[in-house]
Amino acid sequence: MSISAFCQNKHTVSGYVKDASNGEGLIGVSVYVREAQTGVVTNTYGFYSITLPAGSYTLVYTYIGYQKTTREVVLDSDKTVSVEMGDESNELAEVTISTKKEDENVKGIEMSVNKVEMKTIKKMPALFGEVDLVRSIQLLPGVTTVGEGASGFNVRGGDVSQNLVLLDEAPVYNSSHLFGFFSVFNPDAVKDVKLIKGGIPAQYGGRISSILDVRMKEGNAKKREVNGGIGTIFSRLTYEQPFAAGKGSFIVAGRRSYIDVLAKPFLNKDLRDSKFYFYDLTAKVNYRLGEKDTFYASGYFGKDVFGGGDFAFGWGNATATGRWNHIFSNKLFMNLTAFYSNYDYSLGQNVNKDDAKDKFDWKSKIISTSIKPDFTYYLTPKNQITFGGQYIRYDSRPGKATAISEGEKTDISQEPRYGDESALYIGNEQKLTDRISLQYGLRYSYFRSLGSGTQYDYIEVTPGDRKQPVLPGKEYGKGDVIKSYGNWEPRFSANIGISSSASIKASYNRTSQYLHLLSNTAASSPLDVWTLSSSNILPEKADQVALGWFQNFKDNTYEASVEVYYKKLYNQIDYVPGSDLLLNKFVEGDLLAGKGRAYGAEFYLKKNKGRLTGWLSYTLSRTERLVETVNNSEWFAARFDKPHNVTAVAIYELKKRLSLSANFTIASGTPATFPTTRYTVGGIVIGENYNGARNNSRIPAYHRLDLAATLKSKRKLFGSGDGEWVFSVYNVYNRRNPFSVYTRANEDTPLRTEAIRYSVIGNFIPAITYNFKF
Amino acid sequence: MKNIKALTAKITLGLLSCVLVAGLTGCEDVIDLETAQGPAQLVVDGWITNEAGPQTIKLTWSAAYFDNSTPKPVLGAEVTVTDNVGTIYEFKDSASNGQYVWSGTTKDTLGRIGRSYTLRIKNGEDVYTASNEIKRVPKIDSIVYQKETLPFKPDKGPKEGYIASFYARDFVGEGDTYWIKPVVNGKAEVNKATELTIAYDAAFNAGAPSDGLIFILPLRQSITKDSLYSAGASVGAELHSITNEAFEFIKQVSAQASNGGLFATPITNVKSNVKNTNPQGIRPLGYFGASAVTRMETVIDPAKARPED
Repeated sequence: MSISAFCQNKHTVSGYVKDASNGEGLIGVSVYVREAQTGVVTNTYGFYSITLPAGSYTLVYTYIGYQKTTREVVLDSDKTVSVEMGDESNELAEVTISTKKEDENVKGIEMSVNKVEMKTIKKMPALFGEVDLVRSIQLLPGVTTVGEGASGFNVRGGDVSQNLVLLDEAPVYNSSHLFGFFSVFNPDAVKDVKLIKGGIPAQYGGRISSILDVRMKEGNAKKREVNGGIGTIFSRLTYEQPFAAGKGSFIVAGRRSYIDVLAKPFLNKDLRDSKFYFYDLTAKVNYRLGEKDTFYASGYFGKDVFGGGDFAFGWGNATATGRWNHIFSNKLFMNLTAFYSNYDYSLGQNVNKDDAKDKFDWKSKIISTSIKPDFTYYLTPKNQITFGGQYIRYDSRPGKATAISEGEKTDISQEPRYGDESALYIGNEQKLTDRISLQYGLRYSYFRSLGSGTQYDYIEVTPGDRKQPVLPGKEYGKGDVIKSYGNWEPRFSANIGISSSASIKASYNRTSQYLHLLSNTAASSPLDVWTLSSSNILPEKADQVALGWFQNFKDNTYEASVEVYYKKLYNQIDYVPGSDLLLNKFVEGDLLAGKGRAYGAEFYLKKNKGRLTGWLSYTLSRTERLVETVNNSEWFAARFDKPHNVTAVAIYELKKRLSLSANFTIASGTPATFPTTRYTVGGIVIGENYNGARNNSRIPAYHRLDLAATLKSKRKLFGSGDGEWVFSVYNVYNRRNPFSVYTRANEDTPLRTEAIRYSVIGNFIPAITYNFKF
Repeated sequence: MKNIKALTAKITLGLLSCVLVAGLTGCEDVIDLETAQGPAQLVVDGWITNEAGPQTIKLTWSAAYFDNSTPKPVLGAEVTVTDNVGTIYEFKDSASNGQYVWSGTTKDTLGRIGRSYTLRIKNGEDVYTASNEIKRVPKIDSIVYQKETLPFKPDKGPKEGYIASFYARDFVGEGDTYWIKPVVNGKAEVNKATELTIAYDAAFNAGAPSDGLIFILPLRQSITKDSLYSAGASVGAELHSITNEAFEFIKQVSAQASNGGLFATPITNVKSNVKNTNPQGIRPLGYFGASAVTRMETVIDPAKARPED
C-alpha cells in the first residue's frame, strides 16, 4: 500500500439540516454519501460533519416524514452544505417517501431508546383530552407507573427520581401538575422527545435509570405562527415569530387551567376564595450570528396553586438555559450550555396575616446551576468523538420553616445542604466494519458535600429502626468539604448487523447519582424533598446490561425489537417504620439503604407507514429490592413492579380530515402488603403481618381503553389557518381500576375491619378539545 | 407530621371540589379480600398511670384480620408489675375476662413519676416481659373554646358550634414526649387511630425543635375531634407523659391508619415492647405503657366563648 493513500487530501463537508417550513433544526437526519457508502446523523442542533477524500459526491438526506433531498458537492476544499427539507405532507399523497433514517432501528447504534414523535403524541387519546408527554411515555415498553395520577414514571426498575428529565438540558425536578395528572411540558412548545433506557452515552450522567431528553421548539424562522387550543383542563396559546431577517426566531407558549374560573359562580361564599389552578410559561429565542455561531436562550416557569381561607399551598419549577453552538472547524462542533433549575414549594397558614397569633410558614427548594461544554469531533466518517464535562452546583433547602404558636415563634428549619458535582467524559462512535459499529466511552463523576453545615453521625440502636444522632454534630465552615465521592462510569454499546434489515445490539452502562428524592409514599408527592449525598447517604449506582434483536420488515414499514436487560442498583434508599422525612433535621437517621435488581424482556412492534400507524408492546419484568430487616431481609417486589405489561396504540387516518386513535393497556396489579392478623390496643384495631412481609400480595390487574377522534375543520381560520376538534373518551368501558387495595378499621365502627379498593379514576371521562393554528 | 397532614387534608378537600366539578371521582369501594392467616399471638393492652385507684392490664389473643368478633381473652395467666424499688404488684383476673386488675390501695398510687416498671406475664409455658418508666408531665393551664360556623352542614355534629383548645407548656429540656387525649363528658375518648395525638416537646418530632413552648396550634385543637362541640358540652384534655419508645409505638399505629389514597405509606408492623423470653416462641403484640397524667375539663358556656374569626 502506498503512503500516498494516507496523504491523499481530505476535506470536510458540514452544515445544518433544517425544516423548510419553519427553519427548525432537524435532529437525527441521515446524511448518506452515495459514492463513499458511508454516512452520519445530524446532532441535536441539526449539525453534521463528514470528512472524505477529495472528489465529487452525492449527499442524500433522509428523515422520517420528510422528502428525500440530495445535494451534489465537489469536495476540493472544506465545504459547508446546509439544507432545508420539506415536510412530506406538502407532497401529493401518492408520493412514497423514502424516509429517515427509516432503518435507524436496525442500523443505529442506539438501543433501549424510544422516540415518540410529537405528531403521534398529539393524536393519541389523552386524559381529559389534554395531550401529555409523560402519560404517553408511560405507554412505552419498560416503563411503568405506580398508578393512575401518580407523578413521573418508572424505567426498568428505577424509581421516579432516577430519571433525568431534561427540558432543553436543564433538569426538571418535578414534572407534574395537579399532583401527577398532567406533566409540565406544553405539547405545543415541544419539538422532540427521546427516552433513553439503556446504553446511555457518556455525555449523560447524574441519574441512574434513564434520560428523558425533551427539546423545545426554536420558534418558526420563516413566518409568524400562532397555535392554541381550548381543552377541558387547559387553555393554551403559543406564538412564534422570526426576527432579524430570519437570523433569529422566538417562541412563547403559555397554558393555564381554568376550572377555577368556571367553577367560581357555583361555589358558595366560603369556598369562593379557594384557589386551585396551575399554569406554565415556556419561551425560547435563538439567534444565528454568522455561519459559525448560534445562540439559544430558553426558559420554563410553572406553578400549581392551591389554597383557601387561611391556608396556601403551591409548588413549581423554573428553569433557564443559555446555549452557544460554535463551529470551531468543519470537524469540531461545540455546544456550551449554562442552566439554572429551581424547584420549590411552600405551605403555610396565615402567612400573610401579620397579626395572627398562630402562623405556619414553610418553604422548601432545590436549586442547581451548571455549566456544561460538549464537543463533537468528526474525526473520520468512521470515528465520531464526543468529549466534554459538566459542573453543577447544588443548593438544597429542604425546609425553611417557622411556626408561631400563641405569639411564640420557633424556627423549625432544616439546615441548607450544599454540594457540587463535576464530570468529565469522552466517547467514540466507531464504525468498525460495514456491519459492526461500537460506541464506547468513559465518564468520571465527582461529588462533594460542602459546608457550611452540621454533619451528624448516627448510632443504630435496633437494626431497621430509627438511628439516633450523636450530638452535637460536627460543624463545617463555608466551602469545607464534608464528604466526597468519585465514580468511574464506563459506557459501551455495539451493533452487529446480521442482514440489511436485522441487527443484534448489546450495551452496558454504569451510572451514578448524588441527588436523592426522599419519598415514602405510594405516589411521589410535591412535598418530597431532594437531598444530596452525605456521609450517611451514599451515592446511588446502577449497572445495566442489555441485549437486543432489531429487525425491520416490509421496506421499513414495520420495525420490531426484542430486548432483554438486567440491572443492578446499589445504595437504594428505604425508610424506617414511621419515618419522618419532612422538617426533620435528623432525617438521615430515618433512612435505610439497600440494593435492587430489575430484569426483563421487552417486545416491541411499531408500524411507521400507511394509514394505520402505532405500536404494540409487551414487557415481562421483575423489579425487586433488598433492604436489611425489611421483609425479613429477603428480596421483595418494588411498589411499581408489574410483571406483565401490554400496551397498544393505534392511529388510523380514516379520511383526509378525520383520524381515529385508540390506546389499550393491561398490566399486572402492583404489589401490596396485607395484614394476616388483627389485635386491639386501647380500643384501636391494629393490623399485623405475622411473617413481617412486604409486598407479598398483588392488587387486581389494571386495564383500560381510550378512544379519540380528530376532525379537521373544513373552513379556514382567518383565511389561512387550520382548526381541529379532538373528541376523546378515557377509560371507555368505565372500569374502576385499583390504584391500591388496603385494609382499615371502619370509619364509623372502628372495631370493624374491612378491605378497600381505591381508584383514582372511577368512571369514563369524555372530553372535547379545540385546537387552532394560523 | 400531623399539621402537614391536616393541611394536606384541606388541600385534598379543595382538590376534591375541583375534581368533582371536573366530573372525575376518585373512589373507595369496600371489597372482599382473602388474606393469609397467622397463629394467635398474645396481645398486651395495659397502660399504668400515677392516678389513684385500680390499674388494668388486658390480655387477649390476636385473630384473623377480618374476624370482627370480640377478641378472645387470655385466661389463667400470672401477671405482675415490679417497680425499680422492688415493690411487686399482682394483677388478678377475678372476672375471668382477660382483664387483669390491681385493685389499688388507699395508701399510694401504683405509678410514680421517675420510677420504672417491669411487667411479667406467665401464661402456660410462655413468659413475657416488658418494661417502661413514668416521665414528668406538665399541668394543663386552661381550656378555651371559640365559636365556629362551618360553610355547610357536616355529616357529624352541628353546623354552628365550638372548637375547644387546651393550653399547656412543655418542660424546658429536649425530648419530652406526650400523648394528648380529648376528654368528653369526663372520660378520655380515643376511639380510632385518627384520634391519636402525640407531641414531641411542644410540636411533632425531634428534628423540629419546639422545646419549652406552649403546645403548638394543631396540637392545642386536637381535643376537638371530627365535629364541633355544642353549648353545654363537657370538654377537656388529658396530657399523658410517655417515653420516646411509646411515642414511636403510637406514631406507628397512627401511620398504619393512613395507608389509603395517592400518598399512602407502606404498611409495616407496629413494634411491640413486649418480649417472649423464649426467642423461639410466638412473639407477643401490643404495648405495656406507663404515664403520669394531668387533666382539665370545662363546660362550654357561649357567653365565655371567644368570638368567631
